[in-house]
Amino acid sequence: MRRKNPFIYYGGKALAFVISVFLLSAAAFYVSRLAPGDPLVSYYGERAEKMTAAERAQAEARLGLDQPTGVQYIRWLENALRGDFGISYKYKTDVVKVISARLPNTLLLGGIGFVLIFTGALALGALCAWCEGRLADRLICRVGTVISCIPEFWLSLVLILVFAVQLRWLPSSGAYTTGGGGFGDRAVHLILPLAVTAAGHLWYYAYMIRNKLLEEVRSDYVLLAKAKGLKRRTVLFRHCLRNVMPSYLSLMAVSVPHVLGGTYIVETVFSYPGIGTLSFESARYQDYNLLMVLCILSGAVVILCNILAQVISERIDPRAGEGEVPEHG
Amino acid sequence: MDKRFIQVGARSPLPDPAKKPRRSVGKPAAALAVLAVIAAGCLFCEAFIPKDPAYMDLYHASQPPSRAFWFGTDTMGRDIFSMIWHGGRVSLAIGLLSTAVSTGIAVLSGAASGLAPKWLDGLFMRAVEIFLSIPSLLLVVFLQAMLGKAGVLSLSLVIGATSWTSMSKVVRAEVRRLRGSEYVLASRCMGGGFFHILRRHLAPNFFPSIMFMVVMNVRSAIAAESTLSFMGIGLPLETISWGSMLALSEKALLSGAWWIILIPGAFLAVSLLCMTSAGNWLREGGRQDSSHL
Repeated sequence: MRRKNPFIYYGGKALAFVISVFLLSAAAFYVSRLAPGDPLVSYYGERAEKMTAAERAQAEARLGLDQPTGVQYIRWLENALRGDFGISYKYKTDVVKVISARLPNTLLLGGIGFVLIFTGALALGALCAWCEGRLADRLICRVGTVISCIPEFWLSLVLILVFAVQLRWLPSSGAYTTGGGGFGDRAVHLILPLAVTAAGHLWYYAYMIRNKLLEEVRSDYVLLAKAKGLKRRTVLFRHCLRNVMPSYLSLMAVSVPHVLGGTYIVETVFSYPGIGTLSFESARYQDYNLLMVLCILSGAVVILCNILAQVISERIDPRAGEGEVPEHG
Repeated sequence: MDKRFIQVGARSPLPDPAKKPRRSVGKPAAALAVLAVIAAGCLFCEAFIPKDPAYMDLYHASQPPSRAFWFGTDTMGRDIFSMIWHGGRVSLAIGLLSTAVSTGIAVLSGAASGLAPKWLDGLFMRAVEIFLSIPSLLLVVFLQAMLGKAGVLSLSLVIGATSWTSMSKVVRAEVRRLRGSEYVLASRCMGGGFFHILRRHLAPNFFPSIMFMVVMNVRSAIAAESTLSFMGIGLPLETISWGSMLALSEKALLSGAWWIILIPGAFLAVSLLCMTSAGNWLREGGRQDSSHL
């Protein structure tokens, strides 16, 4: 077998990453400029509509919006490479500051949600494979199909209706009560968004684990292990699960954007102050600088995860030489 | 499995797993029936809906379900029972239209990429990856802004244009598998063009494997429409659909008007569930061989 030079290997991956992010930034820049709407409104508010033509031109020149798009992009790129991403039109402060104020909230929600999905799917999938075709398996599969059909936003609404409006057990929106912000307060605010995030994604991955395990259970080495006198538990968890793990790990890496996209919707419904609500706002109000950084940030995470998935599947299972990332449908 | 046992001289295990009646994925009759009822109700809704769905009866806003208003009225005083059937038309139409768009893009791009030389194919796959890396929600917001005010047609176009990638990957894989076969080669030798080969030789072969994805695409397009309309970037409130009916739910939450949220959502969820059952049925049925565990 041919061993690759690690420098060339990881260098190539890094190069691919940089080129992809560069292309992404160019595409996002041009597309955001194509959108109709007035960025001045988000900077000056209502006042922008009453401006005279001269005032307008001056304001545009101040924000650098009077140049052709290509020139604007090169200027933006120059500044960005120096670490200056410009100011947000709406919040009038440095873009990085605006984002870093919101980022921890999203990381908290997405991170805990991701861990929940990852472990929950593994447990449920293994349980289903353990009692294949029996009541528990059929029940879990049925419940999973039903819940994964329900759109996330409606599930959130129903949960808010039940737990916040009717029972008044949990808060309906936000990340903490104003003035508060202790650990307990934050945890209480996280319960519903987390429940929706996990419930929306868990089943797909659990089902995938189950099917992979069922395929594995039908292979010849399981027959041998059984003939050797190994326990059912040992065979399933020591041998089969271990064989399933590589593809599960790379699938989880690919799934990051889906979980991310899910938290965007959940954040909007619960008015949770995170990256999702921020990007939604910035796209609606033509807050170009903010939008660019958010786009690149989430795009970079996605590209990084795709590369990670490739590396995982190539490292753990050398047969996957071509590096086909598993299908996510 | 039997053969292996016979080869080593052991008796074949009992009962014979091949003959054991397995619980197969049967035709989901209930799901298809419910789907048919909903679709028919939406198509012929003029025949039985009691009120004009767009009429705002401000004296009777936010009424709970009663004999006059079977499913209650929304915060703008419109009759929810009439709106459900009328809005279902729009939702289903968007599902079908955007699936047509995405299937078209997927088949063309997948086949082109599958038949292309290796470097072009690799380039194309990179491009798809970058396309995938923009969160689809943002992409939809952009496209929506570019196309101007949202209508049924523009929204289906947008949803279709953002949901073709996974299907395109499957088509590409299938085409790569098929392109070496003799009949494709023969057709090429006789001067068959791209579209001829695609229509006569490739499509009939890969269509069964994307059939399941097509049905699932209808489902996710309807879900996407409702999500977008709910968030206020899809259809406006005047264009009644299941999603735009739910856009009023934030106001409804404050007043505890559960029927505004639960009833349209239940219709939405039930149709999505029926479509999923139908899709799962199209995918190959259960497995034949038994577990070794």
